[in-house]
Amino acid sequence: MELGLDVSKVGSHAVVDVKGEIDVYTAPKLREKLIELVSEGSYDVVVNLEGVDFLDSTGLGVLVGALKRVKAHEGSLALVCTQDKILKIFKITGLTKVFPIHDTVDAATGAA
Amino acid sequence: MAIVRLEIPPRSAYVGVVRLALSSLARAAGLDEEKVDDIKIAVSEACANAVLNNEEAGSDDPVVISWDETEDAVHIEVADRGASLDPDALDEVDTQGFSTRAVMSIALLKSLVDDCGFEAREGGGTTTRLLIHR
Repeated sequence: MELGLDVSKVGSHAVVDVKGEIDVYTAPKLREKLIELVSEGSYDVVVNLEGVDFLDSTGLGVLVGALKRVKAHEGSLALVCTQDKILKIFKITGLTKVFPIHDTVDAATGAA
Repeated sequence: MAIVRLEIPPRSAYVGVVRLALSSLARAAGLDEEKVDDIKIAVSEACANAVLNNEEAGSDDPVVISWDETEDAVHIEVADRGASLDPDALDEVDTQGFSTRAVMSIALLKSLVDDCGFEAREGGGTTTRLLIHR
């Protein structure tokens, strides 16, 4: 099971396009990438979950950890997600109140 | 009705295998896609907890998953040999007020299946029981 991670720059934002399943096995790879971005000075991060087929609490934990890291630098972490089955996970855990969740990368980076 | 039993090494790499197997069983049992998706998440949560529990306890015993279909429901059990579940940990938040991964996992389990319970196993460990009505 592979997790695809592509990083691009949109204005001042680092955008991480995630593809595949985020679970207890693959989440460490996402965690490492997000830590790497913050350590390189990217404090405004967008995680695009449109290519994600599956997300569990381990993935949520990684996103919460990344949010805390960017907040420590007065940065931001926004998500892109329109899939009901993934949004459901955020709703159940109350994280829709914690993360700004947008329909498109443009909206998340403020370009829309 | 079908009873299926799987044993996996307590490693995170095998959780996806269980997810795939049980989602196939759920489809074969005639459950709709929304329930199949809910079962995928619930089983992954239970297995991730079991693998992490075993890891924490330094146990190399397998995680045992069983699937049992009846006319009205599906019963899933996930048993580990890790530390027994601490009920006090279920309200834990970290220093910044965020729920811990374990708390989010329990919230998902309780929300996605019709009934969810945790029992201490004889000899150590926890059995997570999931009930899904058809």
